[in-house]
Amino acid sequence: MTAADNQRLRQVRAAILGNRPDTSLSNAMYPVYVAVIAAGSYGVPAAQQLFRSLDGKWLAAHAWTPLGGTVLVAVAALLLALVRLVGRVHGPVVPPLPYLELVVASPMPRKVTLARNWRLSLGGSVIGGLLVGLVAGAGLAIANVASPGVLLPGSLGGAVLGLLVAELWLQGQVHASPLGLRPESSLPRGRRNALALLDIAGLKRQSASNATIGGAVLAGDLRTVRLDAARPATHARHVRLKASGPLLVIARRDLLGLRRAPWSALYGLGLAAAGSAGLMLSLQSPRTPTVAPLLALVIAYLGFGAWCEGLRLHADNSGTSRLLGLAYRDTALAHLVLPLSAWVLTALVVNTGLSLAGLVTPAAFVWALGVGALLAGSHLMASFRGLPPAGVFGPRAGVPAMVFWYSKPLLATLVVGTATAAWAARTATPGVAFTWMLLLTSGVLLWGLVLVDKRDKRS
Amino acid sequence: MLGRRSPDLPVDQEPASHVLRATGVGKKIDEAVLLLPCDVELGHAECVVLRGPNGSGKTTLLRILAGTMAPSEGEATLDGGTVDERRDTTRTAIAALIGAPATYRDLTLVDHLVLIDSTWGRVGPRAAERSDEILELLEIDHLAERFPHELSSGQQQLFHLSMVLVRPSSILILDEPEQRLDPDKRELLTRILLDRKAGGSGMLIACHDPTMTAALADTVVDLQSA
Repeated sequence: MTAADNQRLRQVRAAILGNRPDTSLSNAMYPVYVAVIAAGSYGVPAAQQLFRSLDGKWLAAHAWTPLGGTVLVAVAALLLALVRLVGRVHGPVVPPLPYLELVVASPMPRKVTLARNWRLSLGGSVIGGLLVGLVAGAGLAIANVASPGVLLPGSLGGAVLGLLVAELWLQGQVHASPLGLRPESSLPRGRRNALALLDIAGLKRQSASNATIGGAVLAGDLRTVRLDAARPATHARHVRLKASGPLLVIARRDLLGLRRAPWSALYGLGLAAAGSAGLMLSLQSPRTPTVAPLLALVIAYLGFGAWCEGLRLHADNSGTSRLLGLAYRDTALAHLVLPLSAWVLTALVVNTGLSLAGLVTPAAFVWALGVGALLAGSHLMASFRGLPPAGVFGPRAGVPAMVFWYSKPLLATLVVGTATAAWAARTATPGVAFTWMLLLTSGVLLWGLVLVDKRDKRS
Repeated sequence: MLGRRSPDLPVDQEPASHVLRATGVGKKIDEAVLLLPCDVELGHAECVVLRGPNGSGKTTLLRILAGTMAPSEGEATLDGGTVDERRDTTRTAIAALIGAPATYRDLTLVDHLVLIDSTWGRVGPRAAERSDEILELLEIDHLAERFPHELSSGQQQLFHLSMVLVRPSSILILDEPEQRLDPDKRELLTRILLDRKAGGSGMLIACHDPTMTAALADTVVDLQSA
């Protein structure tokens, strides 16, 4: 970067701003201010409550052992791998389209024109990591899991993790470039090199996607967000869908879809296995904290959802010319065959393993079957909920109303699943709790089917 | 367990004879007139072409006769009963291409055709062959293993037509099937539709191409601007 380049960029910025004052610094600082307030007001109380509910003594005994350290490093590595994947879809350097067209496309070096956007993302990531470290450290100290001295290494570790997150995020963006890396370049060789490797087509695509996703989030249109963020399928194109009966072919379609999105299949398998294991283990002891089945249900919900792409695509397609020979509701139900079968198989394998280890009884598998039906109902609700009603956008409603509206399927799962699991773990007659779970699950399924029929009538 | 199923159709059977009729059909939404009242009748092995300037209501009339929109005046009937896409009888008889149909982004072209064919109960040794034949007929067999997002605009149109042609039907309703096709492909499509008509299919087509209209139409209905 030369002084002349910097001078030219300053002139460009002055031309863009015109007579308006430069508010970029205050615009950048405001989110930091809000994040600091939120971390102090909500983050610290929530963190200490979480650490208290997780059996503080057990945590204190295990957190500072080699195993605890390994778990921490593994979680950080998983986060970094995930961030790199996110960078392929939405990187840290995404200026607005006009700036890309008029400034970044000019002969000025990219490491000059994109430096400002990179610095904002880098700063946000490091400050975010620092705050997370501070909040976690404060939570551990207040819950008496660690001494107050943990604040310093916690915040420093968080900041370093934030720095790594930003670097990996940028690497993901560079590697997603349709031009690929230049023969003479390789990563990592410093971020300036990385900025110079970002191509205009990739930047414009991400910027357009940014605008689409931003608009869709404001409008509460999660479908557009999902379709825009998803990577198009290209795997296993030579594998053909086998002709079969009308219902079976839908399940086969979903299986083929997962084969063409192997990461979704594996992600779903991992989360479903972890979720079903957590659920079965939490049923065994009345001392299990309520947060255990809650977390297990969230994980199971996400895992089951990874297998429901066919169901979501069916819901997305409503309103277009219908060419399938199955009724709309039947097609929706046929799309549940694959995720339900995968859930049952996963729960069976997990139950067998845990039973052999003497941790659960085979009866816990029956409970997992009921939870499978509950997850099927909630994903019917989630797939066919459509757009939020106009009232959600009202001046008195705000973001919490929209979050509540979107969370209804997950909340239904958590309320039914957690309440009945806690009841079953504390009663001598878990069969009664199971019967209630089945009754409430029928209600969730029925709710989902009502939404399917509503969408059918509207389209 | 999964409720009603569409009746299974015998493979490669000649289309059943149906009469699709619009009597004084018009459409208004509040003060906006989408379609002025008009009459159309379509019988066995007959082709009716709708013409008219943009905004004259061609697509609206096609939607009404495909049973996806209710008229605000007049009556649309299939064999004397109301046309309603939610009825099995309507879906079995009518295959419509009005706008882009639903596609699955994780299925290839040939997978889409196999899926559609299978959901109509047409399984057996010829099911996979039939999908290949339709792609070959439209000269897009070399694209069989592509995903929909990998197609050009004209290839998309041919793919959408293949999805409508692969499913069994007695009546085809097509909204400007010639759009985005080059002259050779328009000629190919005309030949395919003429074969369909000779095989007994009824066709209701909105078309702006005078050559295709002259070749296909038994009746031309000119719609007036709404």
